[in-house]
Amino acid sequence: MAEKKFHHALYPDTTIILALFRDVENAKEVRQAVMSGKFDASLLKASMIVDEFLVTVAANKAVHSQRCGKMITKTVHSEILYNLSAGRKITEAFKKIGISDTDTSVLVAIAGEEEKVLQSLQALKSVIKGRQVSLDELSSLADLSAVRKEYKLTDVELSSCSPVGAIASRIAAKDIITV
Amino acid sequence: MQRTFFKQGAEAKLERCTFYGKPCLVKERFRKQYRHAVLDKSLTTQRIKSEVRAMLRCRTNGIKTPTIFMVDMETNSIYMEYVEPSITVREFIADVQQNQAGDCPLLALAEQIGQIIGKAHQSNIIHGDLTTSNMLLAQKFQGDAQSTEKFTPADILQKNIQDLEVVLIDFGLTALEGTPEDKGVDLYVLERALLSTHPNTDHVFEAILMSYKKNNPRGAAEVVKKLDEVRLRGRKRTMVG
Ligand SMILES: Nc1ncnc2c1ncn2[C@@H]1O[C@H](COP(=O)(O)OP(=O)(O)OP(=O)(O)O)[C@@H](O)[C@H]1O
Repeated sequence: MAEKKFHHALYPDTTIILALFRDVENAKEVRQAVMSGKFDASLLKASMIVDEFLVTVAANKAVHSQRCGKMITKTVHSEILYNLSAGRKITEAFKKIGISDTDTSVLVAIAGEEEKVLQSLQALKSVIKGRQVSLDELSSLADLSAVRKEYKLTDVELSSCSPVGAIASRIAAKDIITV
Repeated sequence: MQRTFFKQGAEAKLERCTFYGKPCLVKERFRKQYRHAVLDKSLTTQRIKSEVRAMLRCRTNGIKTPTIFMVDMETNSIYMEYVEPSITVREFIADVQQNQAGDCPLLALAEQIGQIIGKAHQSNIIHGDLTTSNMLLAQKFQGDAQSTEKFTPADILQKNIQDLEVVLIDFGLTALEGTPEDKGVDLYVLERALLSTHPNTDHVFEAILMSYKKNNPRGAAEVVKKLDEVRLRGRKRTMVG
């Protein structure tokens, strides 16, 4: 059980699961399975996520927006992806933070009712051809220069805080700050 | 999520909790009963937005503020990093004075405070409520070399000020653009707060101003001129009674 499970900070009946896969051979097939509705999940480019905490911040916000009827996108799983991106264009978000057909490292986030979440995870595991690893490996997979570019992190900002703090604040404040 | 009461402020209730494993502080603004409900909601929303924007703008300009975890407009709450271990600048100054530790730590602290306010003003951020309780002293950020050594707030007092960093909090009265007059008032509020809370700190404020001038080279002259005017008005007011 290398995945991690959280209860939503405001809605304890909502579960958030994170799982990391490496050496994935069939990213395209996995993506198609999600698009065709076989199971619900956010498929994230592991190299763009410096820390799992950022995904919990994004998923936490996505679920809250869903409950309040304030989602920007159509589903909670696309909302997680959108929240994780720095911009406001949904297609850009999918391009930058979502997996592409050639990606081999995939971070999966699933949010919802516990039973459904576990079912989706099972379905995902039956489709994905790759090695599930500990989320601790995430930091070693990060492409820091791409991350810095996406979130426009400067040396000045990083002199007083970590990329995680800088990015978490941007995600949490996404609908408030004007870029 | 288990929340425990932390502090009751004039505008908000503060509670502690953990947010996906991280120490967290929830600042929930409460309704002002004397205000019309719709107006109150819209003013509160605006305040929260300004507060969050100022905190982010500070960060991008190299001024440390708590990380934001979540903004919940439904309950008028900001969930932010609980900075720990930390003590307020107020506690630090009181401790230095009580132990007669001399001026060195106070002047080094003044240098940091002047730097922060100078940078903030240069980036057009007016804090609005600069007091020694609204500045925390925490372990300096050291990037990847961040030590994981656990220490308590009391340990902070044993640290060299060079190893500590001022974290600016409570942007409840912030404004995100300001005239030199607003900046002068910002400094005046700090001067009054400092001198009234901590006896014999005139020279500390002078040191803050020196550092401020260095760090806001383009704007400082005009701001200090305004500060002098505001001081004069303040004095006249107290003379009248
Ligand atoms: N992020 C934080 N991390 C650690 N301590 C904090 C943090 N935010 C606030 N505090 C502590 O709580 C105190 C009050 O916080 P703050 O000034 O934000 O609340 P407030 O409701 O505006 O209070 P007041 O009305 O008294 O100004 C601070 O002086 C500090 O000791």
